[in-house]
This record gives sequence, structure tokens and C-alpha cells, in this order.
Amino acid sequence: MIENRPWLTFVGHATLWLGVALVALPVWMALVASTHPASAFGVGHIPLWFGDAGVETWKSVLLEEAGNGIESSVTFMMLNSLVMALGITFGKIAISLLSAYAIVFFRFPFRNFCFWIIFMTLMLPVEVRIVPTYEVVANLGLLNSFTGLTLPLIASATATFLFRQCFLSIPSELVEAARIDGAGPFRFFFDILLPLTRTNIAALFVILFIYGWNQYLWPLIITTDNAYYTLVMSIKRMLSVTDGDIEWNRIMATTLLAMLPPVAVVIGMQKLFVKGLVDAEK
Amino acid sequence: MTDVILENVGKTYPNGYHAIPSVDLSIEEGEFIVLVGPSGCGKSTLLRMVAGLESITQGELRIRDERMNDKEPAERDIAMVFQNYALYPHMTVYNNMAYGLKNRGVGKTDIEEKVSNVADMLGLTELLQRKPGQLSGGQRQRVAMGRAMVRDPKVFLFDEPLSNLDAKLRVQMRIEIRQLQRKLGTTTLYVTHDQVEAMTLADRLVVLNKGKAEQIGTPMDLYDKPATPFVASFIGSPSMNLLPANLVEQGIKLSETLILPLSHAHRGGVVWGIRPEHLEVSDEQNADFALRVQAVESLGAETLIHGALEDQSGRITSLVIRLSGPHLPEIDSLIWLIAPTKHWHVFDAITQQRL
Amino acid sequence: MTVTFPQKGLPWLLLLPQLLVTAVFFLWPAEQALEQAFYQEDAFGLSREFVGLDNFLDLFTDPLYYQSMLTTLVFSFSVAIFGMSIALLLAVMADRVIRGKLTYQTLLIWPYAVAPALAGVLWWILFDPSMGPIALWLESMGLDWDHYLNGGQAMILVVIAATWKQISYNFLFFLAGLQAVPRSLIEAAAIDGAGPFKRFWTIVFPLLSPTTFFLLVINLVYAFFDTFGVIDATTKGGPGQSTNILVYKVFEDGFVGLDLGSSAAQSVVLMAIVGVMTVIQFRFIERKVQYS
Repeated sequence: MIENRPWLTFVGHATLWLGVALVALPVWMALVASTHPASAFGVGHIPLWFGDAGVETWKSVLLEEAGNGIESSVTFMMLNSLVMALGITFGKIAISLLSAYAIVFFRFPFRNFCFWIIFMTLMLPVEVRIVPTYEVVANLGLLNSFTGLTLPLIASATATFLFRQCFLSIPSELVEAARIDGAGPFRFFFDILLPLTRTNIAALFVILFIYGWNQYLWPLIITTDNAYYTLVMSIKRMLSVTDGDIEWNRIMATTLLAMLPPVAVVIGMQKLFVKGLVDAEK
Repeated sequence: MTDVILENVGKTYPNGYHAIPSVDLSIEEGEFIVLVGPSGCGKSTLLRMVAGLESITQGELRIRDERMNDKEPAERDIAMVFQNYALYPHMTVYNNMAYGLKNRGVGKTDIEEKVSNVADMLGLTELLQRKPGQLSGGQRQRVAMGRAMVRDPKVFLFDEPLSNLDAKLRVQMRIEIRQLQRKLGTTTLYVTHDQVEAMTLADRLVVLNKGKAEQIGTPMDLYDKPATPFVASFIGSPSMNLLPANLVEQGIKLSETLILPLSHAHRGGVVWGIRPEHLEVSDEQNADFALRVQAVESLGAETLIHGALEDQSGRITSLVIRLSGPHLPEIDSLIWLIAPTKHWHVFDAITQQRL
Repeated sequence: MTVTFPQKGLPWLLLLPQLLVTAVFFLWPAEQALEQAFYQEDAFGLSREFVGLDNFLDLFTDPLYYQSMLTTLVFSFSVAIFGMSIALLLAVMADRVIRGKLTYQTLLIWPYAVAPALAGVLWWILFDPSMGPIALWLESMGLDWDHYLNGGQAMILVVIAATWKQISYNFLFFLAGLQAVPRSLIEAAAIDGAGPFKRFWTIVFPLLSPTTFFLLVINLVYAFFDTFGVIDATTKGGPGQSTNILVYKVFEDGFVGLDLGSSAAQSVVLMAIVGVMTVIQFRFIERKVQYS
């Protein structure tokens, strides 16, 4: 900074710590809550410090049926979530790479028209067209299937735009050199284009993985079979208790497990995450 | 043997822009041809048409008697060195050089041998496992040339390959390119806007202006007998002095009071030219005219004097003289000059052709 | 791009997957919604009749729909304004400190990765009227907290949960914006005698306005469409209609109320809103490109 004002620096750090604490507060509570037996959440108060039922709760959450009509364990649903998230991520990246490649490196009739068709998907988030999309997927017999969980979500204007930008920024001389070196469309794609966009793909992977993992409404409405329940959506079923009390300790442990993979990805790949976020909005 | 033939080759863009009206050129095997001209003259377009990176919309291109108009760049057996080198940033130097061979299905041991030969020749052996990002500008330039050489193509194409290097390196690489080309004997087409580069490298030069070849010839042809004022001003540094004049009975009439004697049948407007190095300092009696000194640039080995030719009507015409050795005339003093007739260049003002 | 590959069929092959998915899962449903919006269907899907614009007329004469619109606006602007203000404050501080910048960034950005539904559940337990520590603390301060019954409080809860998740995003973009402010400008202002606060409001903040506007649009889009999970996991639109935002109402009327015609009409209206927002966003990006 330009001038040295110790008190301003102090205020800076203090504000940031306050922010960090506020942001972390609910997770702290969840962690604490998961270490108490269900009976501890009676009327009156919630424990503010760790209890001694942690091992028990976490073991039961990880290994036993989630309960409340869900016959799968959290571990099993995590696997489902992983399959869905990776399916959506790889699907989006694959079809977007291909369509961006077609749009940038080929000339064909209706090229702009195709671009606009893809562009329109930006205007149609799944939440907005939820009922008719459900009907279409039901008509295709895709309810309760991994195809139904992933396929309707993999068209991506954002990823296509991003790759298009990326391809356009590759110096045209490099493309020409490859042509003179005898690279056809396939060699060029695999030898030059993919290696050069590696970082962008990785960055987008992080963003899309979070997007895929966090799908909530879509799996909620198209799965009625335990075998396809994903973790994030299962929280709702665990919460909708008709009789008796909500098992807060188990719900909190489940919530933490459900947010762990994407949060770990963000923290572990912070640089790529930031890049992906900024790229995706360009 | 004639290696590359351009016959009435032209380019019109889809939007109707007529970039190159028509160029005829035949290149002998092993010849070093330089395409030179100001930016936007169409020299790069012409080169890229030979490479197959731009379509040829008119005329015919033949390499070793084979029509190339509709061939893919890779099928023309040419190699190109780009201005920005266009090295594949994710590949090592070795793979950059080997890529074109791999794509052509050359065997692995063959590739290794060819790459290591070329690397030896260019002093790149130590750098083969590096990536382009770890190389200096000069080294990248060498790799780009190595990538072209390794394929042993029929024709080398260079698109302003030295313009990204600093002045000292540029001179060094220029000499190196010339030596390598002589050694390999590969027909070469080289584009530049730098006339010094053009003069020093070329067997023959093609001076392009607005998509037309103004003159094709050896460097000395172009220096001694430029066909047009454009060529005259483009070749040589500093540029030739070109003055508007009239050809009358008594000679070249530069102004109301200044007529240089010449007998020539042509009458009317002309452009009269003389190179700065051909003007000689003299005394008042013998001089053709006087120059009022405006600025002096001392370069040590030579001196450039910028001055004005004044006439009674007050019209001022600028001239440059180049003298060897140091001279220090005072600003605003007069210098008396002789313009030897044998060094004159006279062009028709309308047709721009040499008389 | 001047150099392209000459193949004519290949590009279609490359585009096929994307176009197919788009046609089947985007355009077809959108067309269905458009069609459905002009029909009235019975709850069992056995018969339907063409009703023209009736579904839209019903929608626009329904006070509940207007209420939902109002709720959506209150919710969205609250999320946008709170989220952006807090993020800006934190970003300015993070831009000031020299040590630990990256650590602070790490500790502040992770909520982006939390699913909205989970964010809702996390804050719910803090505000649960019978046991949540914050609710109990508020009670001890003399404020009765019960978001199950009090619509305003339910709104506050969903706003907090939705804001919490979005701070990280805003923070990153504000920090990037701040770091892009040329150092020399701030130094010039300092030499001109402007103190840190004055510098911020007269130099830095105006220069941030493109970022701010961009974030406003993004935040509104987020609050409009991506917060379904927050509502569904916590208040389910209640109590009453107090947190029933448009995107939740589409789902509820369609899947729970089985009023398909109305739900389809609502879908069409929402598509129009997203369309307008997307265009604004793109206009803005175009302008940004021109300026930079």
C-alpha cells in the first residue's frame, strides 16, 4: 500500500477473519452437531461443542441405510453422485469440444444457425422448463437411469463458447504450420488442439464437476428407485419426516459428506477453479 | 530447370477485393527469390498462395511441372518458415521438427537420423529436448528453419522470418540463411519488406506494388536500372532523390531557372532521379546547381546532408546527398553540386516507365 | 481464422451430439411448454382442450402470481445487494493486506462449491426456532424468531442461505477487478492528497463499475433460477406464499398442483425473462470488449 497505516492493516485482517468465521460458522455447527446423539437435539438448545457420539454417527451414516425410505447408504449415494457428476462433466466437455471444433475450423452452410441453436440453450435452464423436460424424458423411458440423470444436462452453450474463444485465440500460423506438416482434421485435433487447450479443459472440468455434483431438482424428480438416488437430493427425503424427530446428527454428517467432494476440488485446485470461473463468464 | 512457375496468378477475395491482379514468374531450381514491397503490397498473400494457405482465384501455379492450384498445402512438398515461427508450444524441439515427418509416415529411425543431421547443421543438438518457451528468439528462429529443412522439400517459403529479431541477430541470421540455402540448393521464395535484406539475400528480386510486380531482376539490375520511380525509391538507402521535371528541347527543366542539358526525343512531364551517393560536391563555376543545407547527419563513415533546392518562384525541393567520410557544412550555407549524367534516372511522369 | 479444413460432412458429424441433445432436451420441451401453455389439461392427462391465451390471462389476473413476482424481486435484489456488499468489503480488505492474501481467498471461496439445498439445510439448523443457536440468541435479545410461521423471517433465512453461497463468487470477481485497477492511478490520487477512503470512493469504485454491473446481472440470474434448492430444502415456498419465488412456483404448480397449463405458461414467461437477461449480459460483454 501507498502509506503505512498500521490500524488500517489491522482493520483489514480483522474484517477478513470475521468474514472467514461467518462463512465457516454453519459448517462448524454441522460438524459439532454430527458428534452428538440424536437425543441431544431436544427442545431448548443445540450443543455448541463436540460430543462423544461422533464415531457412532459417522459410521452409521457411511455404512447403514440412510433411512426415511432410503434404502441406500450414503457411501452408495456418493458413488451415484460421482457417476452423475462425471457423466455430466465429461459429456459436456466432449460434445462442446466437438461442436466448437466444427464451428471454428470448418466452413459449412448454416454454421451460424447452429451456433444460435446452441446459444439458445443458455436461455433455457432446466428449472425453467422442468415439467415438459420431465415428460420428454419419461416418454423416452429414461426415468431411473444414469442416462436420464446425465444426458438432458450435457448440452452446454457456456462450454461451447469457452472452447470457441479458446480455439480462436490459437495463432492462425500454428494452424497453417500444422496443415503444411500434413496434419488432417483428426491429427490436428488430437496432436495440436487438445494439448493446447489442456488447461482450459481442466479449469472447466472443475466448474462442471461442481455443477454436476450439485444437481438437485433434476435427480429429485426423475429418480424413484433407490439405486439411482444421489447424495444432494437425498437430503430432502431425509428431512421430510412425517412422524418423530429429524435426526439432525445424521443429517448434518450427510450434508458434510455431500459438500465434501466439490469443496475439496475447489480448495485443492484453486488456481484452475478461479480460472474456470473467470473463463466461463467471458 | 524451371522449378516453380506462376502464370497469370491472381487473387480476388469473395468480397470483390482484387488483391493481386496478375503475376508471372518462373523460378529456376535452386534460385533464391525475394518478394519485396511495402506492407499491404500483396507479397505475403502471394507467398501464401504458393503455400496453399490462400486459394488461387486465377492463373496457374506449377511446381516441377505439376499443377498445384487445388492441392492441399501438405501435398505440395513445400516447407514454410513463419514470421512468428509458429512452433508447437507443447512439443519439444525434436517433436516440432519430427511432426511433419511423422504425419507423412516416415519410419522412426529415419526421422531420428534426419532430425539429428539438421540439428547438427543448425547447432540445435543440445536443445532437442527443450520446449519452444525455453528458447531465445534466435534459437526459435533456428528451430523453425530446422522444421522446414528436415523434410527436404522442393521449395522453402519464408514469410518475413527475421522481423522479430533484434538488429544484430537479424544480420547474423541473414548471412546464415544465405549460406544454408546455397549449401542445400533448395529453391526458395522469401518475403520481406526490408530492402537491405532483399538486396543481400536474393538471386533475383520481385518488387511488388499494389499486387503487381513492378520489376523482376537481380539486385544490381534493380539498383542500376529501376523500371519505375517506385522501384527507384524502394531500392537503396537513403532513397533516390526524385524530382518532378519537364523534358524540353534544352534538357531536363527542373525549375524556371534550372535546366540540366539532355537531348532526348521525349517531351513533357517526367520524374528525374539521382541517388544521394551519386551527387558530387564541386565549385561554383562547374556546378549544376546549389543546395542550401538544412540538416547534417554524421554517421562516421559517411555523411548525409539534407538540403533544399531553391528557385526564384520560391518553390523548395528537398534533396539528400551522401558523402563518404566526415563533412561539417554549416546550416544555411550553400553547397555546389554536380549531377553526372550517367547516373540520371528519367521516368515518364504519366506512364511511370523508365525513358 | 482464414485456414479451415475442406471437409463438408465432418463438421455435421462433430456437431451432431450437441445438436441432438439440444433438440431433444431443450427445444422439444420448450416447444411443448409453448404448446401446453395454450391448452387446459385435466389432472390425469386424459383430455385437453385449446384455450388460447386463457392460461396467460389467468396468470396475469392471479394476485398470487403477482405476489410471487414481488417475492422474487425482493429475494433476488436482497441476495444481490447483500452478497455484493459483503463481498466488496472483503475484497477491498483482501486487496489491502499483503500477507496471507491467498489463504484468505481459500478460506472465503469454498462455499461456491456447496449445493444450494445444502446451504439451506446448514442455515436452517442455526435458525431452527426450537434449538438453533442464532434463533435462541435472538430470542434472548427479545426477538421472537420462528421462520415456520413468520413469512418475513422465512424470507430472511433463505436470503441469508442464498447470499452465503454467492459471496465467494462475488469476492473473486471484485478482487480481480481491484487488482486490475492501475497502480499508477492510485499513486497519482495519493500524491493529489486523497486518503484511502476518498481514493476508494472517487477512483477505485467508479473503475469497478463494469464489474459491479456484471455481478449484479449474474447475481440476479443466480437468485432467479439457481436458488430452487435453497427454497425447496428449507421453506418450500412458505409459510403461506412468503418465499414462493417464480421458479419454485413453476415446479409446485406443475408437479404438486398438477396445473400443467398454468405451469407451462409460467415456463414461457420465465424463458422470456432469461432471454432478456441473457441479452443484457451479452450486450454488456460486447461493450466491455470494446472498451478494453
